[in-house]
Amino acid sequence: MGQTCTVTSDTRRRALDVGVGAGGLATADMILNIGPQHPATHGVLRLRIVLDGERIVSADPVIGYMHRGAEKLFEVRDYRQIIVLANRHDWLSAFGNELGVVLAVEHMLGMEIPERATWARTLLAELNRVLSHLMFLGSYPLELGAITPMFYAFREREELQAVLEEASGGRMHYMFNRVGGLKEDLPAGWLGRVREAVTEVRRRLPDIESMLVGNPILRARTEGVGRLSPELVHAYGVSGPIARASGVDVDLRRDAPYLAYAELYAQGGPGRVVTRISGDSLARLEVLLEQVHVSLDLAEACLDRLGSLPQGPVNQRLPKVLKVPEGETYVATENPLGFNGYFLVSRGEKTPWRLKLRSASFSNVQVLREILPGCLVADMVSVLGSMFFVVGDVDK
Amino acid sequence: MTEPRKESRNPFSAARGLLSGMRTTARTMTRPAHTQQYPDERPSLPPRSRGVIALREENCTSCMLCARECPDWCIYIDSHKETIPAGPEGGRDRQRNVLDRFAIDFSLCMYCGICIEVCPFDALFWSPQFEYAEVDIRDLLHEKDRLGEWMATVPPPPALDERSADPAEVAAANRPARTAREPRAAREPGTVREPRAPRPPAAPEADG
Repeated sequence: MGQTCTVTSDTRRRALDVGVGAGGLATADMILNIGPQHPATHGVLRLRIVLDGERIVSADPVIGYMHRGAEKLFEVRDYRQIIVLANRHDWLSAFGNELGVVLAVEHMLGMEIPERATWARTLLAELNRVLSHLMFLGSYPLELGAITPMFYAFREREELQAVLEEASGGRMHYMFNRVGGLKEDLPAGWLGRVREAVTEVRRRLPDIESMLVGNPILRARTEGVGRLSPELVHAYGVSGPIARASGVDVDLRRDAPYLAYAELYAQGGPGRVVTRISGDSLARLEVLLEQVHVSLDLAEACLDRLGSLPQGPVNQRLPKVLKVPEGETYVATENPLGFNGYFLVSRGEKTPWRLKLRSASFSNVQVLREILPGCLVADMVSVLGSMFFVVGDVDK
Repeated sequence: MTEPRKESRNPFSAARGLLSGMRTTARTMTRPAHTQQYPDERPSLPPRSRGVIALREENCTSCMLCARECPDWCIYIDSHKETIPAGPEGGRDRQRNVLDRFAIDFSLCMYCGICIEVCPFDALFWSPQFEYAEVDIRDLLHEKDRLGEWMATVPPPPALDERSADPAEVAAANRPARTAREPRAAREPGTVREPRAPRPPAAPEADG
């Protein structure tokens, strides 16, 4: 692991020796570019891979092809406009991204949000988590050559997207959070329809599960491949399902609870943290699969609670021009892919002075340079797909 | 760094996997398809669905709030002032804004809905209408005539959850009427209400 650099320099020297030929079977390492446009990369990630035959000697993720300067753009937008931009960096967990921004602003303002808004936000965040996980549960087998799970995953996604669209109007970029609560109240009968959707997804989840769990082809491609050690997890700041698949038992919903998670993750609550110990691609997939169940449990608990709360608003009245008092704060939330943090520095203006974004995929992708060396080219896809990243979240 | 694979696998487990896959296929085959035959079968979209932004031109006062608040400035407004001469019974001339151009560039629009939220005169609305794709990106700049046509497709807003807060008007109407403030002494039962005495310059206990 630590000798990656020396390997690379060795490579250069050897690459120059081609043709000089020290004997019959002298081979030169080959530099292979994977991407920027490659079906296995979910966007425009480029990997510079040095190959010795079929085996990867070193790998270098080259990022930045999708850099949009989100942090700089935040500085010239007011807090409502920031939500528009913030929900776009990880386009699979737009609700979670919005949530971090509004929680940071509410924290700075010392604003209390109504209880119904807290529970509705928790519900929507969990539904969004299921959506994101289902996306990867469909696309990862697709990268390994199995098309069918994609259709199953998308059928369940459709079910949940329909209810999210009914409440927020959007299927991906919800724009439903506002500082102080939600944009507008939930439509009549919506909670019932969410419950139906959750039940339906839960009922049909075994279809996709039976294709993934215990599938001999999938096992052969993922078991023991791309093993990530807990030390590397700590060294690179890897978080989310990938870290938990390596046995690092950390989940911000339980460890630094926000919204209603303190109650959901209390003793006897429906919340639990899913971990595995092997840290290979299969473990990462299994964590994702089990987290879907946990999230559906949490969503049902939120539905129960929303059905018994007293009548009340879901947002606060805001001033026409919202100014955040001088100061700074850091708010991190457990997004589907890992820690998503916002460091907000305000100088009392209506725009932030600085809004630093700590995105989950950025750290998760960096660790590829440690776990890819030693793998075969064919395993590269298996490892890359199991790191569960969104390139927009890497490049910001 | 990966250890060698266990290459030889039980052929029975592979066959079992194959069979279970085929069983799922067979089971699904008997169920109706989820596919909607789109142009023949219209999708039923919820009223909040963000398809396109419609403009009610009569309500627009060209106040420019939407154009200013738009995160990527994709709304273009031109207007001029017109003078309405004073009526026969006197008064003075009035000026009013006349909207010349209202255009939204849907190739830039991020569908956030901030323009609709900030509009103080209810001139902008979301419509679930989505069939306005163009071959050329430049044709996505839609002027006020086209935006006005979409007004016909705007659905009424959905009813809200029974636990939602009352609308502002209802809440205001239900609030108990404000009672006239009285001096604290007068509130005790049995005391006769007296006209309020002028307050001393520096009262230690100022009431009211």
